[in-house]
Order: sequence, then C-alpha cells, then structure tokens
Amino acid sequence: MRSLKSHISFIIPLFVLLFSLQFSFMLNRAVKSYETGLVDDYSIVVVSKDDINASDLKIKIPYISSIIEIKKDKYISRLKNDISRADLTYLKATLPKFYSIKLIKLPTDKELKIISDDIKRYKGIKKVETFKQTFNKFHQFLNFAKNASNLFAVFIFFISLLLILKQMEIWTLEHQNRMYVMGLFGAPYWMKSASLYKSVVIDALISAILVGLLFYFMPDFIDIDKIKSDLTLDLNNFRFFSDTFRLILSSLIISVISVTITILRQKD
Amino acid sequence: MGDIIQADNLYLAYREDEPIIRGVNLAIKRKDFLFITGKSGSGKSTFLKSIYGEIGVYKGDLRVYNQSLSNISNANRNILRKHIGVIFQDYKLINEWNVEKNVMLPLMIAGYSKQVCKNQAQKLLRHVKLSHKSSRYPLELSGGEQQRVAMARALAHNPKLIIADEPTGNLDEYSSSVIWELLKNVRAHIGSTIVVATHRIPQTLGIDYHQFYLEDGVMHEIS
Repeated sequence: MRSLKSHISFIIPLFVLLFSLQFSFMLNRAVKSYETGLVDDYSIVVVSKDDINASDLKIKIPYISSIIEIKKDKYISRLKNDISRADLTYLKATLPKFYSIKLIKLPTDKELKIISDDIKRYKGIKKVETFKQTFNKFHQFLNFAKNASNLFAVFIFFISLLLILKQMEIWTLEHQNRMYVMGLFGAPYWMKSASLYKSVVIDALISAILVGLLFYFMPDFIDIDKIKSDLTLDLNNFRFFSDTFRLILSSLIISVISVTITILRQKD
Repeated sequence: MGDIIQADNLYLAYREDEPIIRGVNLAIKRKDFLFITGKSGSGKSTFLKSIYGEIGVYKGDLRVYNQSLSNISNANRNILRKHIGVIFQDYKLINEWNVEKNVMLPLMIAGYSKQVCKNQAQKLLRHVKLSHKSSRYPLELSGGEQQRVAMARALAHNPKLIIADEPTGNLDEYSSSVIWELLKNVRAHIGSTIVVATHRIPQTLGIDYHQFYLEDGVMHEIS
C-alpha cells in the first residue's frame, strides 16, 4: 500500500508535467501550421514609379520570399468601353507599377513596420499597403493563447518539479537505511540504487504512456474537427509514435535525473 | 602468519583536533579472537568502524588485509567490505526485506546465484535456530532474534574477518550463548579472525583470546 502510494505520488506530478509540455507543444504546432497557411495567403502590395529589382530588394529585406509584378493590362482593358482609346493609352503609360510581395514568415507588428519602412525607402516606391488589420486579429489572439499556454506550461512544470522534489525527499527517507546497510557490506552504487531506478523507470513509462493515450483519444471527447472547420486551426496534430516516444524520453530523463540526485544526496 | 589488521600510531577523530583514538599500535593475526573492552564512549565502536572503513583514518595508518585505509577509494573500500562480516549492536537489518533476504545480502553482493544465496541463507538460519522464521520481517522478531539474523548475515559469505560491536549487549542468555557458540565454531572451522567490542567478556567462553582495554582513546593490552 505504501509502495503504491509512493508510485502514485511520483506518477501524478510527472503526468501533469508531461501533459502541460505536450499541450503547449501541440498548440505551438497548430499555431505554426495556421501561420504557414496564413503566410501563403498574405502579401504586401507595393506601388512604385519605377521597376523594382527583385533580387536587389530581397537582399535588402531578407523577410521577402518573392516579388511578383501585378499585370495591370487586364484591369485597364475593363475600362475600354468607358474611356477613349487615347485616354486608355495615356493611362497605361502613366499608371505606376504594382507589385505583390510575399514574405517567408508571418511578421509581427514590429517586423511588419520595419519591412514596410524598408520598402518605402527603396527608390521609386510611392505606397506600401500591408493589409495589417485584415489578417491580424485572430492571429494576435492565437499568439496570445500560445504565449499564455507556454507560460502556463512553465508554471505547471515548476509546480510539478516541486512535487517531484518532495517525493524525492520521501524516497531518501524510505531508501537511506537499506542503501546504507547494503553499502556496509560493500554493495556497489548500481546495486544499492537498482531498485530505485527500476521503480522510477516504471513510473516514467506509465506517466508517458498515460499522457500519450490521453492525447490520442482526446478527439473522441472534444469536437476538434469543428474547431478546425470554424477556426482553420488544426488541434488534431498528435503524432502517436513520435510524440509518445518524445514523451517517454522526456519522462525518463526527468525521472533518472531526479533519482540520481536523490541517491547522490545520500551520505556514503 | 601475516597480520589481518595492523594499526600503526593510529588516530581516529570525528572532529578536527579531537581524536577519539590516540596512537594505537596493534597487530591482529589470523584466527585471533580479540576482545576490546572499555567504558561507554571510550572509542570501542569507533575503532571497529575504522576497520570496515566507515570512519576515515585521521593520522597514522591502519591496514586491513594489507590494504591501507588511509585515503582508500570507494571501490577498494567496497571490495574490502565484501571480505568482512559485521555484527552491529543495533542489528542494522533491512526492515523491508524478510529474514531470508537479509541473510542473503552479502552473497548477493558477492554475485552468487539466487539459489545458492537461498540455500546458504537457509543453512545459516538453521544454525541460528531461526529457519522457521525465514519469511518473517525483522520488525516481527524479538531483539534477540534480530541479532541472530544479523549474525547469520555476517557469516553468510564465510568472511575471514568478523567484527562484532556489542553483539550480545541487549540479549537474553539463550541468544547470547547461540552467538558465542557460532563465533567459536566459525573461528574453528573457517579460521576467521574475530574482533569483538564488548562491556563484558563471557565467563564460559572456553577458548584462548586476547583482551585490550580502551581508556581515553589509548589502547592497553591486558592479556
């Protein structure tokens, strides 16, 4: 009974710690995937008096992934029934050039201002339209949620770590007599600590697998597809094998470090 | 015959400049049966602890099986301890393990198979008349029984050196006699050297022994 309690006292904080890490990781992954979709749809429109040298501007502003000229002919041709041929020719000759600039990543407000200012400084640029308001609101909310989740994960991590440290103190008391007596008869380090390592590895595996299963079956309990269709945010991004493997690895590392600290703290 | 334990101007201390044992010179040979007597706090237990390396040498030198204990490494200390059987006044049994597993401990450390460990443990438990309690846990036994388990554990790996700290201090007459008989037998059959710290030497031991008296950290040979 005492042994079961000791296992549970370690499994619960480890489970919470892994859950918070995995949740944060998955939210980051969903936001990143959302941003990738967003950046594909997003472009800055630039109006320029002169031709823009794409490679030159790309060197000056590394955020730029491509610069495409917007062909104005088809827009002008729509006016051919309304204005005279001479006016149309004049219009064609005097209209500035329009460019669509795509970026390599979705910029923050600060980055967007820097990019916009840098473009404006380029020779011949008359106007830069960033369409900031149209894409920004939901993205800002997502970023806020992501940062809040990361902060929450860090907070949970430390709380869980405190609980694990508390459990380590209990282990120290539980095992110090046995390890001391074994040491008096010449038991080496690995033999004295084998039962602790064995028990902690089992606990680490249980915690990691429980978290893995929880995330695997979560779509059965929460309507993730609706979130995806309503918000275009894919939260169903748990990769069972790779994510569970990472959970197991993290769990083992935390557990083995904890138990090693516990053992090394014991006086020889 | 070579010395099993040799102390040269040995000083032991728990605190700097406050030696408990002062300038002990001693040579203990194979098959010696040696009693160290003295008042409480005279340093008997401290001297025994130094033999199995629980307390370090403060000054001078102490050699056990020709291994110097001054600045001994952990690995060498572990090797040394595998050749020593220790009986403690407070038994030092592992309460989460049953009696049989407690007795098996030195054999498990020596790397014997589980079956060999079990057989040897059962044999020794018969010697200490506790084979019927092999599955019990230490806290279910009386003090005398616990000390007999500790005795069986100390003898499990047939050590050539046995250290006993007040082995019969709190025991009834029956348990005391079992322990003294076993120590005598081990010495006779295995040729072990036995060092015992005690307040009183049994009257009816019936063997030759050496006696040292510790007073104010200085050891005097009595017989």
